[in-house]
Amino acid sequence: MAPAYALTVRRSRLAAALLILTAWQALASSGLLFRDVVPSLWRIAAALATTLTAPAFYANLRVTAFEFAVAIAIGSMAGVLVGLALGASHFLSRAYERWVHYLAPVPKIIFFPVLLLAFGAGLESKIAMGTISCFFPVAISVAAGVRGVPPVLIRVDRSFRATPWQMATKIYLPAVRAALLNGLHLGFGVAAIGVLLAETKLSKAGIGFLVMDAYHRFDMPGMYALLLLVVFLVAGVNMAVTRISRS
Amino acid sequence: MDATLSVEHVTKRFGMGETAITAVEDVSFDVAEGEFVSLIGPSGCGKSTLFHFIGGLTAEHGGRVAVAGETISGPHPAIGMVFQEESAFPWRNVIDNVGFALELRGMPRAERLERARHYVALVGLQGFERRHPSELSGGMRQRVAIARTLAAQPRILLMDEPFASLDEQTRLLLGEKVTEIQQQLRQTTLLITHSLTEAVQLSDRILVMTFRPGRLRRVVQVDLPRPRNDDILTSPEFGAYVAELWGDLREEASRGLQAAEHAAG
Amino acid sequence: MPRAEVRLLAPACGVLSLIAAAAALQALIVTDVVSRYVVPPPTDVVMAIARIVREEHVVARFLLTSGETFGSGLLILAVGVPIGFWLHRSALARRAFEAWVAAWAAAPLVLAYPLFLVLFGRSSLTIVVLGFAAGVAPVVLKTLEGLTATRRVLVDVGRSLQITRGQMFRKILIPAALPEIFTGLRLGLTFSLINIVGVEFLINFGGLGQLINELAERYDLAGTYAAIGFVLLASMVFFACMEHVERWLRRTH
Repeated sequence: MAPAYALTVRRSRLAAALLILTAWQALASSGLLFRDVVPSLWRIAAALATTLTAPAFYANLRVTAFEFAVAIAIGSMAGVLVGLALGASHFLSRAYERWVHYLAPVPKIIFFPVLLLAFGAGLESKIAMGTISCFFPVAISVAAGVRGVPPVLIRVDRSFRATPWQMATKIYLPAVRAALLNGLHLGFGVAAIGVLLAETKLSKAGIGFLVMDAYHRFDMPGMYALLLLVVFLVAGVNMAVTRISRS
Repeated sequence: MDATLSVEHVTKRFGMGETAITAVEDVSFDVAEGEFVSLIGPSGCGKSTLFHFIGGLTAEHGGRVAVAGETISGPHPAIGMVFQEESAFPWRNVIDNVGFALELRGMPRAERLERARHYVALVGLQGFERRHPSELSGGMRQRVAIARTLAAQPRILLMDEPFASLDEQTRLLLGEKVTEIQQQLRQTTLLITHSLTEAVQLSDRILVMTFRPGRLRRVVQVDLPRPRNDDILTSPEFGAYVAELWGDLREEASRGLQAAEHAAG
Repeated sequence: MPRAEVRLLAPACGVLSLIAAAAALQALIVTDVVSRYVVPPPTDVVMAIARIVREEHVVARFLLTSGETFGSGLLILAVGVPIGFWLHRSALARRAFEAWVAAWAAAPLVLAYPLFLVLFGRSSLTIVVLGFAAGVAPVVLKTLEGLTATRRVLVDVGRSLQITRGQMFRKILIPAALPEIFTGLRLGLTFSLINIVGVEFLINFGGLGQLINELAERYDLAGTYAAIGFVLLASMVFFACMEHVERWLRRTH
């Protein structure tokens, strides 16, 4: 990319960002809406500073990050196992893949009441929400990836009498790396939504809890500050995953 | 209506400065009304560049294109193009593909369907009107594209290796179909090709181009009687024309091959 | 194993094993190995279906949630496709904003529901707008992808026939990108539905999400499970239909 062009790109982004911020500020000072619904940029900036300096934010962020990480670990591991099995076995695929496929887009929050009963109101039910959210995209993507493995690779490995475990780790996993990252990418997104939704509904800690707390105290600037932080965090994680999957 | 195509002093360069490549250099020729002319040359002689220029799809060239003496620039209804790549719209059935140009012009539906049906029959696809391209063979799809262009009733038909992706036998059969149609319509036609037999089978005249920069090397008049049936295709005269063309082209093609190998090495 | 045999035997095996799992669960509950206060016996759930359909206006709720999803879908198409076109048209806009749209796609917008609530009130409008916001990005990205992948020669055919700008859009670009746009819509609606049902559930308002919340809060376990089953069924049917349309589009495109 020519440097002059890069500069125009940066300028366009800056202009768009300024436009959005100006529009927000204009709306805030117009008095069209109830005063605190759209607080001015200065108040949001101040709230951002307060939030970032408060230890409570980091404590709650740790809780959410922990839930999220455990959910991703369990969900993606289960997804990989199920995906490998469905992809490698024609029989299993015909028997169960349809069900996995149709369950995948179902909004998982409907299971939350059940998860609450099974795992309680603590971290475990949020982890469970994230886990089932993350599981489906990973499983489907890995299964499709396995079917895309060139059959000649599989024949070569069979001729070397590889065990199923060796087949999985030496042939299938490297070959489905792209598919796995793709599924994880989607899985990250839906797991984040799952964990945060669950926290927002019923919890005593976590970012979702903080947002609800701010909302109930009608601390709108504080709420927006939290939303911004979460959006940037998730976007950051997302970009990192994209970068890894492309390298 | 006069349908002579004149191409004058066409030159095209890619890139700038020392690395610039002259793709086409000072090419001039005419195609007379009702004449079938082929332009043959090795890969990389700028055939497709010329095709896009004559069709008005690229502007940044030197030179002039005229139909019946009138200079044209940009896409023009007098010129109908048939492309090398598959170009039948996959989401339209055969009849709607063929009627596409008429639809663009706002022709009433009944009239449009009637004319489209006529051209579908002309290329021998009657009975397939409601099929989609995915249900047809490659040769049939290319015939859909030809019928679509003919239905617009251009004065000049311009074809860029329309049979390049087909097998040899299908090519020969389609070639027969194309000459049959061309003779029937007295359609002025310029065909771009790299197939020697195809050029001899179809043309009244053959223009031979050189490898980069693409220039006209020679013009061959094909004095074989029409229709060119199997007897003619297997005759010694036909073979002589092919051999003569190959004599010209061999040198150009091997220069092209060397350039490609040099670039690869 | 021969393929024909697998084709019949395998799905039957799948269904049978699910039924067997339900039966095993029933046995575990009856013998008190699994608490019936966590999982009600499957037979109770089946019996609760008729009850919730009768007493909880399931059909009306289903129509409400479907309507909200449909509204979001329309908004998503009306806004997402033009933005996709714009990004395709302008190389600069694409370089500048494609990454923003991708980031937007991943943002957990549902957390912002209080914002939507205060802006649009406690109404279906809030839910539709949130569903739209959550699902628009995939349509933008897929529209862009579809347009970028449109074969050059199809555009050239149009140009050689002196096509107008409007005709190029209606008769070539849109049909060529349609399968991708539809894939984007299916992805987008998945996210919309997560957010729509999620918000209904969170704020106890509206259709099926609220139903589950309410039954759970009433501690009507069998009813909750029956309602979950209903949502599962509805969204399975919905996405199966979407997939059929998509496959049909891909075949004829």
